[in-house]
Amino acid sequence: MEYLASDKIAIVDLGSGDITEEELDEDLVLEKIGGVGITQSLYDRFEGEDPIVLGSGLLTGSLVPGSALSVMTAKSPLTGKVSHVPVVLDAGIEFKYSGFDYMVIKGTAQKPVYLWVHDGIVDINDADEVWGKDVWAATDYIREFMGDDLIQVLGIGKAGESGSPLATTCINYWQGGDRLGFGTLFGQKMLKLIGLRGMGLLEIAEPEDFVEDCLALVSTIKSGPLKGKKGIAQMAVTLGGEDIEDWISPLIHRHMACFNTPIPTNSFVFLDEDPALLEESKVNEPGMLLTDIHPLITLKKMGLSAKDACQVLKECAKYGIDAAAVAELSEKAGTTALEDMVKSFPELKGPVDSAGTSIFSPWAMVGNQDRDTWERRQAVSYILGIHPLFALMTSELTEAKLLDLASLGTELELTQETLDEVVAEVSGKS
Amino acid sequence: MGIKIDGLLCTACMACELACGYHRDDAFALLSSCIVPYRGREKKNYLGVMLKEEDSLVAARPEGIEINRIGEEQDPDKEADASAKPMLLRESCDLCEDLDDGPLCIRVCPVDAISVE
Amino acid sequence: MDIYERFKTLNSRLIRGENIPFSEGIKGLSHPSGTNRDKPLAYPAIAIYAGQGASHSWLWFVDLFDRMGLYDLCFLTDTTLKENGLRGIDVLAMSGGDTFAIAEGLGKSGAREIERFIRSGGLYMGSCAGAYLPLNSSKPFLNLFNYVPAKITNLTRSLPTALRLKEKFCTSYGCSFIFHPVRETVELKTNGFAPFGKPKTLLAPLYGGPPMILSDPAAVLARYTGFTDHTLFLVDRKLAEETVLGTAAVIRKKMGAGHFHLYGPHFEHPRFPTANHLMAAAMYWDLRRGNPPCPRTDALQGDAFLSKKSAKHFIRAVKREISNARIVAAGLEMQPVQWTIGNKVYDPGKIRVFLEAIWSRLGVLEKAPRLCIQPGQDGATMRHTASLTSLVRATKRDSDQGRNTPDLARTLFSELSHSSMLFLDIYFRTQAYHFGGIHEA
Repeated sequence: MEYLASDKIAIVDLGSGDITEEELDEDLVLEKIGGVGITQSLYDRFEGEDPIVLGSGLLTGSLVPGSALSVMTAKSPLTGKVSHVPVVLDAGIEFKYSGFDYMVIKGTAQKPVYLWVHDGIVDINDADEVWGKDVWAATDYIREFMGDDLIQVLGIGKAGESGSPLATTCINYWQGGDRLGFGTLFGQKMLKLIGLRGMGLLEIAEPEDFVEDCLALVSTIKSGPLKGKKGIAQMAVTLGGEDIEDWISPLIHRHMACFNTPIPTNSFVFLDEDPALLEESKVNEPGMLLTDIHPLITLKKMGLSAKDACQVLKECAKYGIDAAAVAELSEKAGTTALEDMVKSFPELKGPVDSAGTSIFSPWAMVGNQDRDTWERRQAVSYILGIHPLFALMTSELTEAKLLDLASLGTELELTQETLDEVVAEVSGKS
Repeated sequence: MGIKIDGLLCTACMACELACGYHRDDAFALLSSCIVPYRGREKKNYLGVMLKEEDSLVAARPEGIEINRIGEEQDPDKEADASAKPMLLRESCDLCEDLDDGPLCIRVCPVDAISVE
Repeated sequence: MDIYERFKTLNSRLIRGENIPFSEGIKGLSHPSGTNRDKPLAYPAIAIYAGQGASHSWLWFVDLFDRMGLYDLCFLTDTTLKENGLRGIDVLAMSGGDTFAIAEGLGKSGAREIERFIRSGGLYMGSCAGAYLPLNSSKPFLNLFNYVPAKITNLTRSLPTALRLKEKFCTSYGCSFIFHPVRETVELKTNGFAPFGKPKTLLAPLYGGPPMILSDPAAVLARYTGFTDHTLFLVDRKLAEETVLGTAAVIRKKMGAGHFHLYGPHFEHPRFPTANHLMAAAMYWDLRRGNPPCPRTDALQGDAFLSKKSAKHFIRAVKREISNARIVAAGLEMQPVQWTIGNKVYDPGKIRVFLEAIWSRLGVLEKAPRLCIQPGQDGATMRHTASLTSLVRATKRDSDQGRNTPDLARTLFSELSHSSMLFLDIYFRTQAYHFGGIHEA
């Protein structure tokens, strides 16, 4: 696969320590396009070895607006289904540029390890120094040890290490889009984290046309109904969800976008610092990044102050436990005190409604979405590498447009018929 | 004529960095861009944009613009920070002089944080 | 076809032993005079000096020769040069760096080796510090290399005010100073003498190289004629004009059967194809005559091939470490730190110049059917590249904690140079083998 790809699949066997590489066959791309089309296919191939498959979409890391997404595919311990979770913020593109298009992680390590994926190399490293650390400390350690603050980390905290069914894979310091317990799978495999850094380069088949089309899309989106929308609260309202803006806005420092996503769907709150501060804070850890609207809505409903709710989310992110599940179970148990919620982390168990029933993480199920439309849009986003929330918000990124861009970028003829087939296949409807 | 950046508007989406990398390499890559959102202080959420021009390094911080002339001594009392001396060996901004519609970073920025002055 | 491709095609013919006269092989330059027009071209054996005092700019020579298909390269340190390192060599490329440190490192025996090499027909191509080195001087160590009676105009007893880059602006020279009036791109004009062909104006980058005065006008191949929008003035413009413009930028001087080609600006810089073209043409013009196509084959008797499995392991190990080091180096580029080593100032960006020289060539070796090495060379390269990762990480940690550690930086740059030499030696052996130049022993 020559264009928009590194042309490499890594097969990592944590049990034996073997790492093998395969080329990304162009025929596979013609048949499955990319993203979950291929992670699902790789999952099926290695199903007996309990794999977690990490993969990027065909357009991930390109100039297509919203091209932030990589995905993980595995069997969810919460739903029992082979499912897909989004890898967003900057981790999705870091994987794309790390020299691999897909990575199968199979088997179980005999002792804690972490994967260091960089420039076409996967190293299985001893995790003695990080196992037992919370998510924030582990990220700090890896970045300091490897010597680069831009390393992206997909990792677990104590929840994953201790086998909590609600463990989530975090991205750097923050909760990502994993609401399906993939953190538990990491822990079962004795896999503390995956460090990602890539300085690769993606060739484009028809660069000028591809980039011009992307620029035209940006221009249209900028002047459309999403103009000026920013932050997690406005994102929720735009998608028909509950309005928490007045509640949360006094804490908001700035809004942050995932890679090349025109609408910043994340908001950073300052908890131990003045949110109006423009200069660099002297406080080491002044706040946190909000990436998931659901726990906020629940905690607000429970009567928590915005600050307390954000503190809960901060502790969840450090512990590596899904905040939406914590909020749901705390509400059911009537636990409203911050300290009590934090104390309850080790004991919390499912089932939880927050895991949803779809094969796609309910992280992007905001507002009252039509289920079929939502599933279709998720599938298309997860195949092509488009931010799943942004894809729901924008009508300009039509399937036809995305396929045009995919064909321009790769020189492959990718048709609506193929996309329909791949969508049907990953959705289990073929 | 030069690039003007509002560091406070920036959402660190990196579209400008990727577009600039494309301008340099005719492919998608980030290593040769002369415009780089600074993402290194993630826990503090302190971010801005750095731009390498012909004879200066522009640090568009949230609190305002700082221009460091390349080769001139910095204020020794000023606390060193990551945007003080970046990417000296990268090529400087040429305002995408080969493109009729102007610099790519401006066209690709979704929040209009970049303009030309 | 660009000039590099043209040279590569030419060299692929030369290495197979074709007899091609200069006038047929070197296109794009008109040579009205000179007896070398009909001289048969040869595929040269080139040594690049990368020892004490050399900065990263020796890698520009590497890039130039690599792009031209000149793969019969070796890398010399001050020690190996003195230990008969110039045997079988046609061209010695001496790059930029710290002239004093180069002279001190080479010392008397190094000077004697270089003199013997040139007198016997060798070509010395010196750029920047490499141009200063053979100029007449009274200073210790430099006075061991008094081969070219040129004067420099940037020598002063009273130092002018530096407008910028104070750390790169001057070097003390006994009771005087050598100062650098400008940096970056300058304009030059060739004088119409062979081997540069008819007069033409060109651009080249100046990073401290000498503005020279020579009594023999026929030895001056090019003069500084102007500044550009990209010229960085380190002193008042009028003083810069007085010091630089009209002086010799390139000189060619015969010694015995060989020549010096001295370049004030970096003609070998990868972004200046016209200057590259002229430099290469001049090199062929003054190559010793009648070279056999593979002059160093005898020196490579110890070569071996890595097995497929070992080659894969070797490339993967080097790739791992260079990637690790490169990731940290990219982060270091964002740090406000620099180090003074000898008389030269090093920015973190220079770390990556070395690493990229290795990184950018790994793909070629990955695809090469066989890797040519000398026994033990693969192990040494893997060990040294692994130590690079540790050193660059330690440098970053110190920098993050606000510690300036010149000793660590000195070790790091020395290791970068050493690792690059080891790796590039394997790269060029392999390229030469597949290009057809070196046959299986």
